[in-house]
Amino acid sequence: MSELADKLVDVEGDLHRIAGELEHLPEAFPRRVNADPEKVEKGLAQLVLTLVELLRQLMERQALRRMETGTLTDEQIERLGETFMKLDRRMRELTEHFELEEGDLNLNLGPLGDLL
Amino acid sequence: MSDSGRPVLAHEVTLLELVDRVLNKGVVLTGDITLSVADVDLVYVGLRVLLASVATLEEQRQLAAGEAL
Amino acid sequence: MIHLYGIVDGLDELPPVRGLDGAPLERRSLEGLELVFSRTSTPPSAEVSREAVLQHAQVVEELAGRSGAILPAQLGHAFRDDGELATAVREQAAQLARCLERVRGCVEFGLRATVAEAGDAVPEAETGADYLRVRLEQARRLDGLVARLHEPLARLARATTRQRRPDGFSAAYLVAREDVAQFREAATGLDRAPEATVVCTGPWPPYSFASEAQS
Repeated sequence: MSELADKLVDVEGDLHRIAGELEHLPEAFPRRVNADPEKVEKGLAQLVLTLVELLRQLMERQALRRMETGTLTDEQIERLGETFMKLDRRMRELTEHFELEEGDLNLNLGPLGDLL
Repeated sequence: MSDSGRPVLAHEVTLLELVDRVLNKGVVLTGDITLSVADVDLVYVGLRVLLASVATLEEQRQLAAGEAL
Repeated sequence: MIHLYGIVDGLDELPPVRGLDGAPLERRSLEGLELVFSRTSTPPSAEVSREAVLQHAQVVEELAGRSGAILPAQLGHAFRDDGELATAVREQAAQLARCLERVRGCVEFGLRATVAEAGDAVPEAETGADYLRVRLEQARRLDGLVARLHEPLARLARATTRQRRPDGFSAAYLVAREDVAQFREAATGLDRAPEATVVCTGPWPPYSFASEAQS
């Protein structure tokens, strides 16, 4: 599209931060359904992990809100924190295991996008 | 704004934004699995699957096989 | 296979461009909706190329410029035949008509913002409480980012979508044409402290608002 340059309204800051996603740009194009059984498993893993990640973020957000409003005891905060910390680590391990990236677990929530 | 790589990066970023819109990214699945988790699709893309039609895996295989003949 | 570019209203003539694979553009009316598509012999298992994305985008752009309203279709879906396309449209005719009215006279702008440190990385927190403290800090930073960057723009939009990204967020805004100048001005004047990378693009055809799942 020759008019691509016209689509830029404003850019501020260090674009190299988005460089990570730009590197994946060429890979974005082979975006095809395929019959490869390994890809099937990976697709399913991606779906499952995306949902787990969504729930994890929702629950963590909720815990943070309660922490802010002071309705949690120190002991509860510690227990919750440890659980979430372990869950977060486990998620990263699984994501890595299936050769997925953080960005692959991003779900477009539409109107629910404001929840997080 | 003295980064000499900026014009190239700016173009790439704009392209990224374009691709984000044109391609249905997010969870990529084969036809079968997409169908079997249609409920989940509806939850997050709402009616974005309105205009979508996914041939079943089997049909794809047949189509691909037919192409080879 | 039938490749769809979008649903339009008030299109006089098809633009003088070809579709994917050099196929000619075609139009068809169904349930009071006008569809623009092309036929392709490429099986759906073929890979999507950069050229295809750009070609699709160009067709949509040309259609948007010649129509009163457009619901852009995304690349990657194909209909087996006219029958399947007709069925899909009939089933969703009412929603499509509503969406078409919502985007009439509007364009889409996009925002993408990221913060300095990787927002979700939690280097070894010693205790659970530490972990949550770091998370709280990140959440506040994100909330601040959203308040400073997203909300001023959202006020100028007819509808918005927003989603969290690993280290920030991205959003799309449905902006009425008469508000575009004001929107642009607001976008260039955003307060991005503490330092964030902010990218605003547009105007795009309303890809993100082609369905009803937005606020």
